[in-house]
Amino acid sequence: MTTKSGKKTVYFASWILALAAFWLLLSGYLKPLLLCFGVASVALVVLLLRHMDNIDKQPQKLPLSFAFFRYSSWLMGQIVLSSIEVTKLIWGNSKNLSPAIEKLPVTSSTGRKRVLYANSITLTPGTLSVDVDDDHVTIHALNEKSLDVLRAGKMAKKIATVPVAKN
Amino acid sequence: MILESISTILLILGAFFSLTGAIGLFRFPDFFTRVHAASVTDSIATILIIFGLILRTDFDLVTVKLLLILVFLLFTSPTASHALAKSARHGGLLTLPEIRATKKEDCSS
Amino acid sequence: MLILTATGIAILAVMALALARALKADTVYDRILGVNMFGTKTSLFIAVIGFLGGRPDFLDIAIVYALINFIGMIAVLRFFEYTATDDALKINSTKQEQL
Repeated sequence: MTTKSGKKTVYFASWILALAAFWLLLSGYLKPLLLCFGVASVALVVLLLRHMDNIDKQPQKLPLSFAFFRYSSWLMGQIVLSSIEVTKLIWGNSKNLSPAIEKLPVTSSTGRKRVLYANSITLTPGTLSVDVDDDHVTIHALNEKSLDVLRAGKMAKKIATVPVAKN
Repeated sequence: MILESISTILLILGAFFSLTGAIGLFRFPDFFTRVHAASVTDSIATILIIFGLILRTDFDLVTVKLLLILVFLLFTSPTASHALAKSARHGGLLTLPEIRATKKEDCSS
Repeated sequence: MLILTATGIAILAVMALALARALKADTVYDRILGVNMFGTKTSLFIAVIGFLGGRPDFLDIAIVYALINFIGMIAVLRFFEYTATDDALKINSTKQEQL
């Protein structure tokens, strides 16, 4: 029981710290009156958070980690590469287009990883996730080639290395 | 000075990519391909323009705010595209390959 | 300063193109696509304007605009998810004839 309440304290403390840092970064003022408003809004959000956790029984941990940043920088590289591809398609002849749609299986177990996967697919130009269900993602691609790349599963493997809190 | 010239390059590239995406909106043949064109402006043009602006700040709270805008846009724009494509599909809009497939069926039958 | 003006004008041109797309679209989804692009470009435009005028406070407005644009998009799409079928079917058949 003590470890459970200890965990809860850490959980709320991390949220309070993150929200306070967020508030300070957005406002940048250190006057007493405005600081009071900041404290009040942080308290309000944490109360709401506690209330919502009681309702849906799925406390959400903060998803920040070093692996996530590494993954996002890799994703930025992918975005640049595929944007250049799509730019060529836009300025080139529209007969080069070979749009394709296919349902690919997803191996990631947790919901968050599926969300991250589908979001990354949509974020890279040239591929678009049209529909997501429990173990498949329907993908529309501008080019057959980009579907082959996704089928090879490099992105899925990268996502598997990102530690995401289970829920 | 170096930062400013890098920022100039980034801003020009960002403007170029957003114009590319807007032109793609008119050149691509059907709705689903047009979403790809829009995602060029949403992803790379946003990244380039925001980083171009970041290099022009004094690296203080303004930088943090710009980064926050970038993060918000990068999380929300794929979600919006996905929701759009999903509702188009549920609304019964077919993609080009599917239209071709149904056409072939019609011819053979 | 010149380059910021140029970027602002380029973003304005993109916004004009997106609006044109939204106005002469053939399905409701194309319209929403144009409007969404208009919205995201608007928040970028507000940020650039803030730098042009030397008033970084504009960035707060840009953040709020980005968030409201997203929420509005999701709300509109909820509304259209299962309703605009006639539109889609008509487009499907015209596309089929064109091929």
